[in-house]
Amino acid sequence: MRKFITVILTSLLIGIILIGVSDLPEFGKSDVPAHNYVSKTYLEDAVKETGALNIITGIILDYRAFDTFVEATVLFTGAIVVLLLLRREGDECE
Amino acid sequence: MSVNSEILSVVSKFIIPFIQVFGIYVIVNGHISPGGGFAGGTIIGASFILYRIVNGSDKAKDKFSYNTLIKAMCFSLIGYGLLKGYSFIGGGLNLHLPSFPIGTPGRIFSGGYLLPLNIFIGCIVAITMYFLYSLFSEGEI
Repeated sequence: MRKFITVILTSLLIGIILIGVSDLPEFGKSDVPAHNYVSKTYLEDAVKETGALNIITGIILDYRAFDTFVEATVLFTGAIVVLLLLRREGDECE
Repeated sequence: MSVNSEILSVVSKFIIPFIQVFGIYVIVNGHISPGGGFAGGTIIGASFILYRIVNGSDKAKDKFSYNTLIKAMCFSLIGYGLLKGYSFIGGGLNLHLPSFPIGTPGRIFSGGYLLPLNIFIGCIVAITMYFLYSLFSEGEI
């Protein structure tokens, strides 16, 4: 019974995801929503606005700095959880 | 746990400073050349791990104690949040708060907040790498 439900649920999920994929725009087309003014703005204005010659750093630490902040928080949380789970009993670092 | 090899010990003494200087270079030049906090932090974390593999956990504990590392990590995370939050609030609300100048692109001290933010990120990444290695291999820091 459990196996049956698992199979049904999995095929449902796969179906939903495939429906979503079938709505994606065709590969290689130029007028898709991803190709809007954002990339052009970054290429033209990033050096002037952020002062970084490496535009990637300008983007991840200036325009999208909170994304990077949460990435750092994820790293911190990972370290703390591993510390909680794998620390030997009786170790002095508590 | 340590590797008792004379060759490894001598070579690591010679090479660890170079790895760390290269890591600091990658972090500090993050905004003017390829690299940045994540890449440079990984390099510095690798040098910490090499030190621990070669010299054993006791000597590594003397050099980088748990208290120092966790304090540096928390300070970096809080510092990042405060610095970038200050910048976002000041810039988003047009408050004209005093802030770092952008300067000439291409110099080390340019780009406003990018340099301190890169240093904070590098600190967090290096310490996380070292924590994960030592916890997975020995279960202590």
